[in-house]
Amino acid sequence: MSQYQNSSNRATHDINHSRFLVDGRGLSKVFGTLTAVSPLDIAIKAGERVALVGPSGSGKSTILYILAGLIPPDSGDLFLDSKSTVGLQPGRELSEFVGLIRQQLDLVPQLPVVQNVLAGRLGQWGLLRSLVSLFSARERDSVLATLSKLGIADKIDEPTSQLSGGEQQRVAIARLMLQAPKIILADEPVSSLDPARADEILRLLTGLADDIGGVMVASLHAPDLIREHFTRVIGLREGVLQFDIPSEELMPSVLEALYDLDQQPIPIS
Amino acid sequence: MTWTNSPFRSLDARRLLSLVLIGAFVWSLSSVDWRGGIVHTGGGDALKDFPLALFPPELSPGFLKLGLIASWQTVVHAVAGITLAIIIGLPLGIIASGSLGKPGRVRMLVAAVMRFILAFMRSIHELIWAVLFVAAFGLSSLAAVLAIAIPYAGILGRIYSELLNDVSEGPLDGLRSAGASPAGVLIYGRMPMVLTDLLSYGFYRFECAIRAAAIMSFVGIRGLGFEIQLSLHDLKFAEVWTLLLFLFGLVLLVDYWSTSVRRSLNS
Repeated sequence: MSQYQNSSNRATHDINHSRFLVDGRGLSKVFGTLTAVSPLDIAIKAGERVALVGPSGSGKSTILYILAGLIPPDSGDLFLDSKSTVGLQPGRELSEFVGLIRQQLDLVPQLPVVQNVLAGRLGQWGLLRSLVSLFSARERDSVLATLSKLGIADKIDEPTSQLSGGEQQRVAIARLMLQAPKIILADEPVSSLDPARADEILRLLTGLADDIGGVMVASLHAPDLIREHFTRVIGLREGVLQFDIPSEELMPSVLEALYDLDQQPIPIS
Repeated sequence: MTWTNSPFRSLDARRLLSLVLIGAFVWSLSSVDWRGGIVHTGGGDALKDFPLALFPPELSPGFLKLGLIASWQTVVHAVAGITLAIIIGLPLGIIASGSLGKPGRVRMLVAAVMRFILAFMRSIHELIWAVLFVAAFGLSSLAAVLAIAIPYAGILGRIYSELLNDVSEGPLDGLRSAGASPAGVLIYGRMPMVLTDLLSYGFYRFECAIRAAAIMSFVGIRGLGFEIQLSLHDLKFAEVWTLLLFLFGLVLLVDYWSTSVRRSLNS
């Protein structure tokens, strides 16, 4: 891992791995005494759809938050689209590369739908433009077009808190569509949904990743959805990589072993 | 600066504080001269006359007009004072909340200094500010307005900074990952999420400002309190009651207004 902290090596590394949209090396995170992620390498090429699986506390969310720039890793290097994230400001500069959607959706309930969708533009807008738009929405047409695609164009001016859970999910996806990041991260995007709706949401997210020509990384549990929508599965347990396989090789026995609480955790060397 | 972060969080410290406060109360009892009588000569009559004077209060047209003018002066002082307090308190509160600028030591230091300034502004009572400003500007409305605006800006700034800090983090993280700067998170997240609370608290403080404007008379500024003091000096309790009813009416009006505004905001 130390070689990546050397700047000359970082430069060669940069060139050698430029075909990866996500290239994380030796990423780790410790919360107090809890090791959320043990040093982990993760490299993802454009076009890949990666599912993260593992029991609660296995570090799935932590990895997604590190990739999203919401929490800094304790160690390791992260390159997004061949650019080191070390100098990038979380939020503003990272938002060009990564967008995150979470189970709890993270919309501002008090704002009307149009403003929650336009928040996807905040990375590109200056402060003055953002402020003006809050009172007189900019780019209303593109919001309307996006919401039409998702079938909720009629909700554009409603307070977000008045929408149903399914409608709010679409608003969150619409925001991601306006942000249009190359790397789409989804933390448990379908865990509270019925199978039909889960299928539809994953279809929308992968469709968005296809349009942009990027990658999608999502944490979820359902094997059939993984085989249907993802190309690759990464299994985690207590922050340690357990397997990294093509999704068609995901057998029920593999998942059972991963989620088996009686199994001895693999010692961290 | 929330309670959970304060040094009095631990049970022992709180018990100690309670003991000190109880001790102070017991000690204060010993300073009362019980044998000499608590009520001074003639005071007993005043205590009896005062409630009786309510039936009826002074209702002559001339005095009612005087009450209206005094009420108007009080309302003007209160409205101007609380408006200025919000204009000063909101930006100071935003700085004190530490939600602007890059995360780091500078931001924490600026926020701490701002909390200190706010604490100073509100630790001095409006009457003391009034004395200071009357010395500077004379017995003018400006003195009354500033005397309300400064301590109230200190109170509003502190409450506003806490409200802005206590919002749920989820929507803020959502805005951050969508690329919002700290200022973007403030205007798209924190502000909309607490707007009704900010307004509600502003209205509550407006009610307090009415009472504060009324007592500005004790340093000689015109208003309801000034007239109350004059009538009290002349022992005209019926007039005092009329003026108190005006004050009561004002507070009721503000209360009704703020309730209806808040209701329309929440719907």
